[in-house]
Amino acid sequence: MLSKLKHFKRDFNQWSLLTVAVALFVAIPLFSILINLFSGVGNMWNHIVSHYLFEYVSNSIILIIGTGLLTFLFGTSCAWIVAKYEFPFRKWIEKLLFLPLAIPSYIVAYTYVGLFDNGGTIIRVLHSMGLTIQKLDFMNIYGLIIVLSFSLLPYVYASTRVMFLSFPKSIYESSILLGASNKKYFFSIALPLASPAIIGGLFLVFMEVLNDYGAAKYYGINTFTTGIFRSWTMLEDLQSAVYLSALLVLLVFLIVGMVAWQRGRKSYAIKGNKLQENNFQRKKLKGKKGVFYIFILSIPLLFGLVLPVFQLIIWGVQTFDEMFNLDLFWTALQSLLVAFFAALITLITAVALIYFSKWNHFKKINIFKRIGTIGYVIPGAIIGIGIIKSSQGFITFFSENFNVSVGYLFYGSSLVLIYAYVFRFLSVTYNPLEANSLKVGKHISESSYLLGGGKLKTLFKIDLPLLKGALASSFALIFIDVIKELPLTLILKPYKLETLAISAYAYAEDEMVAEAALPSLVLILIVIILMFILKLDKRNG
Amino acid sequence: MLKNISLIILNVLLLISCGEVKKQEVSNNESKEITIYTHRHYDSDKTIIANFEKETGVKVNVVKAKADELLQKLEAEGKQSPADLLLTIDAGRLVRAKQKGLLQPAKSEIIEKSVPKNLRDEENFWFSLTKRARIIVYDKNKVTPEDLSTYEDLTNPKWNGKVLVRSSSNIYNQSLLASIIANNGQDSAKQWAEGLVKNMARKPKGNDRDQVKAILAGEGEIGIINTYYLGKLINSKDSLEVEAGNSVGVFFLNQQDRGAHINVSGIGVAKHAPNKEDAIKFIEYLVSKDVQEIFAKANYEYPVNKEASASDLLQSWGDFKEDNLPLSKLGELNKNAVVIFDEVAWDKGPDAQ
Repeated sequence: MLSKLKHFKRDFNQWSLLTVAVALFVAIPLFSILINLFSGVGNMWNHIVSHYLFEYVSNSIILIIGTGLLTFLFGTSCAWIVAKYEFPFRKWIEKLLFLPLAIPSYIVAYTYVGLFDNGGTIIRVLHSMGLTIQKLDFMNIYGLIIVLSFSLLPYVYASTRVMFLSFPKSIYESSILLGASNKKYFFSIALPLASPAIIGGLFLVFMEVLNDYGAAKYYGINTFTTGIFRSWTMLEDLQSAVYLSALLVLLVFLIVGMVAWQRGRKSYAIKGNKLQENNFQRKKLKGKKGVFYIFILSIPLLFGLVLPVFQLIIWGVQTFDEMFNLDLFWTALQSLLVAFFAALITLITAVALIYFSKWNHFKKINIFKRIGTIGYVIPGAIIGIGIIKSSQGFITFFSENFNVSVGYLFYGSSLVLIYAYVFRFLSVTYNPLEANSLKVGKHISESSYLLGGGKLKTLFKIDLPLLKGALASSFALIFIDVIKELPLTLILKPYKLETLAISAYAYAEDEMVAEAALPSLVLILIVIILMFILKLDKRNG
Repeated sequence: MLKNISLIILNVLLLISCGEVKKQEVSNNESKEITIYTHRHYDSDKTIIANFEKETGVKVNVVKAKADELLQKLEAEGKQSPADLLLTIDAGRLVRAKQKGLLQPAKSEIIEKSVPKNLRDEENFWFSLTKRARIIVYDKNKVTPEDLSTYEDLTNPKWNGKVLVRSSSNIYNQSLLASIIANNGQDSAKQWAEGLVKNMARKPKGNDRDQVKAILAGEGEIGIINTYYLGKLINSKDSLEVEAGNSVGVFFLNQQDRGAHINVSGIGVAKHAPNKEDAIKFIEYLVSKDVQEIFAKANYEYPVNKEASASDLLQSWGDFKEDNLPLSKLGELNKNAVVIFDEVAWDKGPDAQ
């Protein structure tokens, strides 16, 4: 006992305290949900269990497996091809592969019906070519897997690509010298080394899949999230909805646990000098292999980007006169501002959490940083309720104790909304950043400490500059997530705020899909511009 | 280092200043401002609101979200809620808001005169603004109107594999089943739902517009949809949608007995409305003849005010007898309807049985 206390005294430092503080602050909504769990299941729980719990679970698992396979296959192979080979338009394709993320997946779901269902655009084209196909039915679970996979693929592609690019040439040279074939190098060296990044990307895909509401609902597929909404809004049983969310969180912990188990005690630090890194030559793609590789690259581009955008443009042209106006411009500007601040603050929080917990020697509290990063899986609407309930507490506290009315801060400004984004999207940046900081390893920062650099100085002068590329891509990912986000924005937005996603959703929800096209296209445009500014394709940021 | 810190400070300042600006706006306009929580999001509503602001000088703030989320928000905000009005696209949510104590009665002769009794709450907690009928559209080539009669008859084996309808998570389907429960009783409603699932042409999916397109494609012969979606199809800019809309006939069911089922969008004054007076003024404005016509025509809905006329298209479908069931019943029975939908596995469609 005494020795335990001694250990605690030795290991517990100010950084431990800060880790706990940041994690707890971010996790406030989670606690208000947890407190709810103590009141027991709601009155419709038995009905839910006997009629569709099994269906929720099995559909969600099928979706996870299906999207996991597809995004892994295409995400890693595309990342590998653009990272290691030279071919015409490589730089363009490299950038374009990020873009499917810019289209909200429920919008992609609508475009597929517009393209392939009865009388769809592609079907009409085929008819005019003399082919009589009535329709390709995407409105089933397999269709949903395809839609979600190609719209979420960039998560895996982005994190894996950065990883492949950062391998120093020396690793490749050593393995070839030791007699390994290219194939063997890929499967035995590159893929395992990249596994933290791949898994980090897959994790994000799973979270998005579990959280999807719009696409699943439109296709008539019951998942956990549609079930949560059903029990909350239709069966009027919020309590059971909270329990379903808790089950969902459990499922995520299982996935997180598997990630941690995979990572184990292995070190993924790669040492190599910068000069080598910069000097490696991409191989020229040619012959049959070249054609095959280009074919692989073209599949996600076609299904995730070209086809949906093509359909959106058709709809956008149809509704251009009524939809293109000054309002659209203001809406876009507001979306931009909110997403910018939310992404920046989330990034700062993630860096704080990663490094505070790194500098803390009391390893037991590392569990706290996990608490702060599970917001991603809890359905936005449930987080929204948690946040309203806890901000309610603040408002009452201030008005009772200090006679200060702070309500306007919560209802009139975007503070609460941005806080909610931080809670929800922290793991988008946390996992890949952590994976990348693992890659940098301890040695560099430890050398800096030895040379007398303080912790903060080392962070700003050494660690963060080394992570520049990862930071930029994290920023972009959160930015894109925020600008597309729906349920939280709907619940927590101040009344004056109008975003592109809300605008697109409102039209699509009321069966005016064509009218939703222009806001969606503007959203895509913003993401393209962002990518050019951040130069996501430049591996050194 | 310095750059980073100054960036952070700049952000904090910006955020705070955003908050400050909002605060000032709130305090300056406190007396002449109303806030609406609404599930409606039609562009026609924007024009109506702009006109109201011009005529009265009262500023209207709009918060758009789904009705359930708005209810939850109202409940969580309690006394501090800035909302004056709650506007939904179905009566059920208004009934629920009333039950949860989120609304208050609004006394106004103008409203009472304009909104028929069955279309408003007995105690004036909420009022309907527009109506839609849940009708049958049929393939003009395969079905004659004489084949159709009542909602009950849709379970007749002659429709086996021919009925198109969307999933049970849709509020309009829930309201329809709730009306059948109210009229025929719980057991008979369940039998009806079972029978209908057997007659479905396919697993329920898509929205109302998709059902009409499926008829055009020959996947089924009759579809259950809301009137205003057909109006939108016929007036769409997509030639296929226009073709689909024109390929079907319109049939109002149960004309020989209780009348066709209608659902409404409606409005109520929030319990803790900071500006009740102007909120009521806004409702009075919305149910006035001229505004009702804008409402109705832009969105192909039926006005609740009898003096206002519907659009030419809706008039071309003819007058019809509507089910006069008090709409509060739909809200009270909504949950029962969802339970039945689950019990008969509506969303799994005909193959699951």
